[in-house]
Amino acid sequence: MKNHQRRRLRSVVALILCSGAAGCATVKPWDRDLLAKPEMQFVTCAQLHAIDEHVYFSKEASLGGSSLAGGGCGCN
Amino acid sequence: MQLDAPERPRAVRAKLRTATCLLLTAVAPRFAHAADPPAPPVPASPPTSQIDLTGLFYSERIRVLEPTMRYTRTYSSGRSFFGQVSVDSVTGASPNGTLPTGRTQTVTSASGRSRSVSANSIPTVNFSDTRIALDGEWQQPVKMFAFSLGGHFSHEKDYQSEGVTGRVAIDLNHKLTTLSLGGGYNNDVVSPVGGTSVGMAPYGELTGAASNPKHVKTALVGVSQVLSRKWLVGVSASLSSEDGYLTDPYKALSIIDATTGIPLAQVSEQRPDTRQRRSVQGDSVYHFTSNILYLSYRRYWDDWGIGSHTIDARYRLPVTSAAFVEPHVRFYTQTAADFYRFGLVQGAPLPQYATSDYRMAGLQSVTLGATIGFAPGGRRRTSEWTVRAEYVGQFGDSSPPGTVGVQTRIDLFPAVNVFSMVVNYRFNR
Repeated sequence: MKNHQRRRLRSVVALILCSGAAGCATVKPWDRDLLAKPEMQFVTCAQLHAIDEHVYFSKEASLGGSSLAGGGCGCN
Repeated sequence: MQLDAPERPRAVRAKLRTATCLLLTAVAPRFAHAADPPAPPVPASPPTSQIDLTGLFYSERIRVLEPTMRYTRTYSSGRSFFGQVSVDSVTGASPNGTLPTGRTQTVTSASGRSRSVSANSIPTVNFSDTRIALDGEWQQPVKMFAFSLGGHFSHEKDYQSEGVTGRVAIDLNHKLTTLSLGGGYNNDVVSPVGGTSVGMAPYGELTGAASNPKHVKTALVGVSQVLSRKWLVGVSASLSSEDGYLTDPYKALSIIDATTGIPLAQVSEQRPDTRQRRSVQGDSVYHFTSNILYLSYRRYWDDWGIGSHTIDARYRLPVTSAAFVEPHVRFYTQTAADFYRFGLVQGAPLPQYATSDYRMAGLQSVTLGATIGFAPGGRRRTSEWTVRAEYVGQFGDSSPPGTVGVQTRIDLFPAVNVFSMVVNYRFNR
């Protein structure tokens, strides 16, 4: 593994650990009214998200992120 | 929340205490004391069905019409299933990778269609295709785990894809932290119309292979974390490994005169037959008093030399209790693949790999748009409409280093302007 790849990997691990450490913050079940809203998600509409992924996949060279998109299309 | 404020009337306090106990019992049954009498059985609510009808209208050099129907069944246990069918109809013109000659020229596609291209325009070829795709996913929660298994099949005349995905989400820390692990595999076949070109050989020279395999393996790990009553964040990393036929069968490169820049010949492009992609993405959702801000940032890089940054922001503003407006902005920038060439110079040795596909060039994209959502049934939300309109602009280097002669006077990366509209109608049964 090259040095710059190792540094990136360390950054990812650090980010994940920071997220975990922040979990010490407590939000009681009765305080989760806002979090329980359907719009309080990273992806609020699966259909629109899938269309976005498809359009950007066809126009750009990047792929990935938070979804397991394998392409599945001859457009790029 | 001040449940025991002394000035509250006793009756209200008692009701709040009862409600709190009920809520705690409902959301955290595992904390109930072992000696407590068993709760009376709660009748299971019937499963619900949801149908989404979606239409995409997309316009640039090509036009796309894509109707989609998705059926989702959700059971009271949390188990759910969805099945989706979509039909993707594409017509229009696509750049074939060659350069303008400074004179009107005729370009012929792999299927034999010819079109005239004006003197200073990027040569494009006409094409049309229809793609049918089937997708499905099954989700099953088991205690602190949520398993999902998905399948994909799509077919178009020159490309077929079959894929499976699997994912497990683990709730930790009283459901404030969720860890996700996933993987996917795609088994694709590329069957170019007119045959498979020999890479870096004169355009039209064929290998004789009617179809070519392509495989994609993907792994994903992510964690999401509730930071406060109003704030949810997440970070995920993905690794994708591709092998097989990764070349665009319809793209060619011009071989230009070293002095005049006039194209003299064409060779088919050739890309490596493996690719390792990596990405890291951070997401945030923050609920203000009534508005919600969505932010995400993705860093991507691969062993073809392409690196990209993507920033995406949406801001949801409720208009009424059953309607919202959501502006959207996205910025994207990528570096060029190591083997990207706008053209090749006559007399120079041919490289092992080369492509002039503008999507492999350094480029920037800007997306501006807005979504409107409303539920005609008011708070009952038996149906919902979502309408989104967006513009995507792509910009690159119109005169890349190394251009000579006639090519210096021509815009080699004309802006790509995409307009799209999506309409989604969702109803419950």
